[in-house]
Amino acid sequence: MLTGKEVEKIAELARLELGEKEKEKFAEDLSSVIGYVQKLSEANVEKVEPMAGGTDLENIVRKDDVENCDPETRKKILAAAPSREGDYFKVPSILE
Amino acid sequence: MNFKNLTIKEAHKLLENREITSAELTEEFFGEIKKRDKEINAFLSLAENEAMAAAKKVDARIAKGEPIELLAGIPSAIKDNILIRGAKATAASKMLENYIAPYDATVIEKLREEEAVLLGKTNMDEFAMGSSTENSAFGPTKNPVDLQRVPGGSSGGSAAAVKAGFCVYALGSDTGGSIRQPAGFCGVVGFKPTYGAISRHGLIAMAASLDQIGPITKNVDDAAAVFEAIRGNDKFDSTSVKKDWPDYWNEPIDIEEIKIGVPREYFTHGLDSEVEKSVREAILKLEKEGAKIVDIDLPYSEWALAAYYIIMPAEVSANLARLDGIRYGYSKIKNSEFGLQNLFDVYLKSRGEGFGAEARRRIMLGTYILSAGYYDAYYTRAQKVRRLIKQDFDRAFREVDAIISPVSPTVAFKFGEKTHDPLSMYLSDIYTVSVNMAGLPAISIPAKEAYNLPVGLQLIGDSFEDIKLLKIAKMAETIIKEKI
Repeated sequence: MLTGKEVEKIAELARLELGEKEKEKFAEDLSSVIGYVQKLSEANVEKVEPMAGGTDLENIVRKDDVENCDPETRKKILAAAPSREGDYFKVPSILE
Repeated sequence: MNFKNLTIKEAHKLLENREITSAELTEEFFGEIKKRDKEINAFLSLAENEAMAAAKKVDARIAKGEPIELLAGIPSAIKDNILIRGAKATAASKMLENYIAPYDATVIEKLREEEAVLLGKTNMDEFAMGSSTENSAFGPTKNPVDLQRVPGGSSGGSAAAVKAGFCVYALGSDTGGSIRQPAGFCGVVGFKPTYGAISRHGLIAMAASLDQIGPITKNVDDAAAVFEAIRGNDKFDSTSVKKDWPDYWNEPIDIEEIKIGVPREYFTHGLDSEVEKSVREAILKLEKEGAKIVDIDLPYSEWALAAYYIIMPAEVSANLARLDGIRYGYSKIKNSEFGLQNLFDVYLKSRGEGFGAEARRRIMLGTYILSAGYYDAYYTRAQKVRRLIKQDFDRAFREVDAIISPVSPTVAFKFGEKTHDPLSMYLSDIYTVSVNMAGLPAISIPAKEAYNLPVGLQLIGDSFEDIKLLKIAKMAETIIKEKI
C-alpha cells in the first residue's frame, strides 16, 4: 500500500496538484493497480530482449533540414498560447 | 428512406445513380443527430457549414457527370482525439476544452482527398483512457441499444454514432481495445489495423507504441473501404510503413483453406457463459462451413494485461507531459486570483485542474513506474513480457490464418458499475490488449446477441495481413448473418 507521502511525491514529480481527500483515494487506486501489475514478477523473462515499439522497424531518419511550417498554421499554433509576447511563450520568471 | 443502416457501398450507389444528393444525405443525418443525440450524446461538436459545403462540392461533380471516389459525399463522424483543422479537438478533456486544431491529421487529409463529408467530432473517454466513455469531461455517451448501458470505450461516441444511424461510418482509435470493444458493445464492426499501417500524425497521442486509428462501420466491406482510404506511409509518422497492399475486392477467401486458432487461455475464468456460448456457436458455424478449427496456446496471455498496465501508463505520463499550461490547453498562468509567480505552481494548478481523475491516475502510475529504482522492475520487465507475447502470436501464426475469441468477457455493462474500482474496468480489456502489445490487426464483428445485447467476435490476424484478415472477417460475417 502506498502511503500518502509517496502519493504526494509522485504527484509532485508528475506536476499534478491533488486535494487532501484525493490523496487517500489515489493511494488506494494506485496501490490496487500496482498490486495487480506486480504479478509480472512471476513471469520468467530470462534472456529475453525488451521490445520497445509496436513493430520491429529499424530507425527511420530524415535529413536535419529546417522546413518552414505554413504561416497560417504557425499563426494558429502561437495563438493557442495562454500567455505570450510577440512570438514567444511567456512564463513566470524562473530566476530569483 | 431510412438511412439508419445505410452502408458506404449503398450510399455510394445512391449518389452515383442520383437517387439522392450528398447535401440531402448530410441534412438527413444532421436531422437525426438533432432529434436523438440529446439522449445519446455521441457528438461533442458538429461542423454543419463545413459538411454542407463539402457535400455540395461532391454534388456539383456528380451533376457534371464526373466519377466520384467511394467515400465521396458520404457523411462520417470523427473521434475527438483526431485533429481537423479549424475544429475543436478536446479529446473529451477539460484540458483541451477550447483547443482548436491548427492542422489536419493525415487521416483527415486523406479523407478530404476522397471528398468525404465530416459531420462532427465524437465523444470518448478523456484522452482515450477508459472502456465506457464515463471518463469524458462532457458526460458519458449512452449505448443506443440500451440507454441504461455504456457504449464501451474509449471510442464510445463513434460506435454509438454508427449504431444510432447518425453517420455512415466513423473513425476511432485503439490503444488496448478502444475501437473493438465499443464496436462489440454496440453491435457494429470495428477494425484495428496493424501498427504502422495508418499514420498517427494528428492523433492526440495516448500511448504512442500502442495507438492506432481505425474505422467503425456497419459491415466488413465498409471497414475495408475506409482502411484503403486512410492507410499509407507518412513522413510525419516515422512508424508508418510503406507497403503494397493486396486487393480486398478481388475474389473472396476459400473457407476450406482457412485454419482458425482458438486460444485456450481466452476461454477460462471471467468469461460470461452466455457470451462464450455465442462465440462458440460462431466457431461451430465456421467449422461446419469448412474452416479448420484448432486449439492453440498463447501462454503469455496471462501476463498481457499486467504488462499493458505498465507500458501504457508509462507512455501516457510522457505524452501528457506536453500539456503544461504554457503553450496550449487549460492554463492557470494568467489567473491573478492565485497570483502565480512561480512556474512550478502554473504546472501544478493547470494540470491538476485540467486533467480528470483517470488521466491523473494513469499519469501518476506511469510516473511511479518510470521513477528511479522501479524502472527495471516494472518497465523493462514489461517490455520483455511484451516480446514474449509477440512470440506467442508469431508461433501461432505459423500454424493458423486467424485467431478467434470474444472481444470482451461480458456484454455492455450499466453506468456506474465499474467506476468505483479502476482495476475492474481495466479487466474488461483482457482479450484486446495483447493485440496492441504485439502490433497486430484485429477486428470486432457482431456475433449472436446474449441477454438481448450485442456480443463482439474478435478475429486477429498476423502482422500486415490486414487484407487477409478482412477477407476472413467478411466470410465469418456472411456465415453468422445467414444462420441467425
